[in-house]
Amino acid sequence: MITFDNLSGIDHLTVAGALSVASLPICPGGAVNCQVSLRDLFDRAVILSHYIHNLSSEMFNEFDKRYAQGRGFITKAINSCHTSSLSTPEDKEQAQQIHHEDLLNLVLRVLRSWNDPLYHLVAEVRGMQEAPDAILSRAIEIEEQNKRLLEGMEKIVGQVHPGIRENEVYSVWSGLPSLQMADEDSRLFAFYNLLHCLRRDSHKIDNYLKLLKCRIIYDSNC
Amino acid sequence: MDLWQLLLTLALAGSNDAFSGSEDSSGKPKFTKCRSPELETFSCHWTDGVHHGLKHPGSVQLFYIRRSTQEWTQEWKECPDYVSAGENSCYFNSSYTSIWIPYCIKLTSNGGTVDQKCFSVEEIVQPDPPIGLNWTLLNISLTGIHADIQVRWEPPPNADVQKGWIVLEYELQYKEVNETQWKMMDPVLSTSVPVYSLRLDKEYEVRVRSRQRNSEKYGEFSEVLYVTLPQTSLFACEEDFQLPWFLIIIFGLFGLMVMLFVFVFSKQQRIKMLILPPVPVPKIKGIDPDLLKEGKLEEVNTILAIHDNYKPEFYNDDSWVEFIELDIDDPDEKAEGSDTDRLLSNDHQKSLNILGAKDDDSGRTSCYEPDILETDFNASDVCDGTSEVAQPQRLKGEADLVCLDQKNQNNSLYPDASPATQQPSVVLAEESKPRPCLVVGTESTHQAAHTQLSNPSSLANIDFYAQVSDITPAGSVVLSPGQKNKAGISQCDVHPELVSLCQANFIMDNAYFCEADAKKCIAVVPHVEIESHVEPSFNQEDIYITAESLTTTAGRSGTAERAPDAELPVPDYTSIHIVQCPQGLILNATALPLPDKEFLSSCGYVSTDQLNKLMP
Repeated sequence: MITFDNLSGIDHLTVAGALSVASLPICPGGAVNCQVSLRDLFDRAVILSHYIHNLSSEMFNEFDKRYAQGRGFITKAINSCHTSSLSTPEDKEQAQQIHHEDLLNLVLRVLRSWNDPLYHLVAEVRGMQEAPDAILSRAIEIEEQNKRLLEGMEKIVGQVHPGIRENEVYSVWSGLPSLQMADEDSRLFAFYNLLHCLRRDSHKIDNYLKLLKCRIIYDSNC
Repeated sequence: MDLWQLLLTLALAGSNDAFSGSEDSSGKPKFTKCRSPELETFSCHWTDGVHHGLKHPGSVQLFYIRRSTQEWTQEWKECPDYVSAGENSCYFNSSYTSIWIPYCIKLTSNGGTVDQKCFSVEEIVQPDPPIGLNWTLLNISLTGIHADIQVRWEPPPNADVQKGWIVLEYELQYKEVNETQWKMMDPVLSTSVPVYSLRLDKEYEVRVRSRQRNSEKYGEFSEVLYVTLPQTSLFACEEDFQLPWFLIIIFGLFGLMVMLFVFVFSKQQRIKMLILPPVPVPKIKGIDPDLLKEGKLEEVNTILAIHDNYKPEFYNDDSWVEFIELDIDDPDEKAEGSDTDRLLSNDHQKSLNILGAKDDDSGRTSCYEPDILETDFNASDVCDGTSEVAQPQRLKGEADLVCLDQKNQNNSLYPDASPATQQPSVVLAEESKPRPCLVVGTESTHQAAHTQLSNPSSLANIDFYAQVSDITPAGSVVLSPGQKNKAGISQCDVHPELVSLCQANFIMDNAYFCEADAKKCIAVVPHVEIESHVEPSFNQEDIYITAESLTTTAGRSGTAERAPDAELPVPDYTSIHIVQCPQGLILNATALPLPDKEFLSSCGYVSTDQLNKLMP
């Protein structure tokens, strides 16, 4: 059983995540016809999604503690996330009703939608005055793990639903100008929003994948 | 009065507010907690800030709004269920619950908003406590004291973990019944966990709580599970096995002591050497330490001299012959083989050269200064220069040279003294043919007398043997004081006139006198006395005669006079005998009677040993 301890430090996270991922069997040498079992793929995917959600939670808490105190962001931060346009199930009934292939595609879309924002997030956090290392390191890690999760999900989709390739649909993120605003308050609020959305979406993906894993691998009997 | 009334009113008002404030922190309804136990429903609770009974209940209302598909529904909806979750609560069932959707709720009282809050449901997840705790015995330790158990439970029933909608992790806590602190175990994902090392004679309590993975907040604790372990009365074991440290220490010490005593007092030297090796003491080959203790320096010196690279510090009589060097410019002088030869040669020229010491002040400390001579001849300061030595000579002026029947043509002896030889010893000439020199003898005696007369105090300091600390180039021998000049005292009385005459000239006790002065003094002395003192003159008393005086008496070859080597202490004394003219050395007149034989070469120096041998 893979356990994640109380992940407090980025090093701990990295080690835990890396170890847990590394413990899974991998296709040796990337052979063409390598067929990693679906179970392993899902296990790895769930580990990655859990890891990403942990990182984003911590990153958000760090940012909240450091920059958002006393600014009243919370009441304002009910802005929409750029991934809201993707019609994802919003509760358990809806998630159970959706077909797992569609759900997988939705997961892929969400993951793709975050490629660009994560890249810019890292760049902008680096450029921040006194760039906090706790936030920057986590942003970098999330960006990398997100790419790995995307690859894994594409593999899963290839195994679960082979043959059908949909167009790469994803939500376009247009929040870059707000991250680069001159007004510090506005800029910080944009960051807060982005991190809030990241935490939410990472939780969503994590949940979907756990649901799919139980459904597909364990036949709804985890 | 008005002011007092105002103050009183304000105080009352303030206290009222404070009173009401302490109850519910400002008297307004306020949200306390919103919670979702399973990620499917949620409920919110608030405090009723109104005093019960004072106001109309139910005037508090909750309104919510949620954003759906990027648009806020502009209406605030009222709480669908005020009852299910209890009093002052609002329950949202699954149809009203959307995950990952922002909600805002507000509390109104009599139409006015009193509180507002925004959140997402996934942020407020706090699962219900697990149920169905039970335990089973895993094993009992061999000592019968400890046991391991396995605790199992069920996840909260409303959490849909089977479908994977929510993933929970659990934390177990246990403690002894009479303890106050709970022991916590690490969170686990499974619903059973082993608890190790519980004591059999104790009762334990166990409880479990759960939380959503990745969340921080735990749900409530489960009910407490009481673990009563079976009592084993079969083994009456001790509490703990403890090593008998006390006995071990005692026996260990005893053994060590025994071994120590065996080794220390053992007759076996080998063992003793191994355990307690002897400390090496300083030791020089061939030298018995007892020698050093007894102070027999001569033997030690002899032994040490055997060793290589040993420079005899003490005066080695035998080495006098070899070590005298003439510090004279005259090549002829240097051409000579040994100093002894020089000393004893009949080379008048050389002697003249020697005697005609330059009167230059070469800066060397005068060994002839009375004050210096009276003091111990130390290495550095004394006898460094013959200049001072020369001074008395200078005083005599050309009279010295007159003695030589020459002017001070060659003062080469004086300045060249010091560097030439490093040996303090004056090598008295070997036996050569001393020609009798009455004058010499006279001189010697009288000089001795004058010496004694002039410097009775100094004479008193002169011992039987005077140590020659240096030899001036002029041929004078610098002696170190310290010996009484016994024989000379008697002579002093005889010739007070001589004293007066000679005193001016004889500044030092073991001084070297210009033979002219000596002659002056001597001339007065009756011959008889002279003769009578001739013998003592040959004694090894301390009468030291300058080179000039020596040359007058005998044509000495260059005595290897040199500035006394102040560096080398000369414990032994040399007595210079003016044996013969012109090559005799004036020796101590107060010396013991010497055999009237020609034991001295011409104005050479006789070592003390030689003198000793010659003496009866």
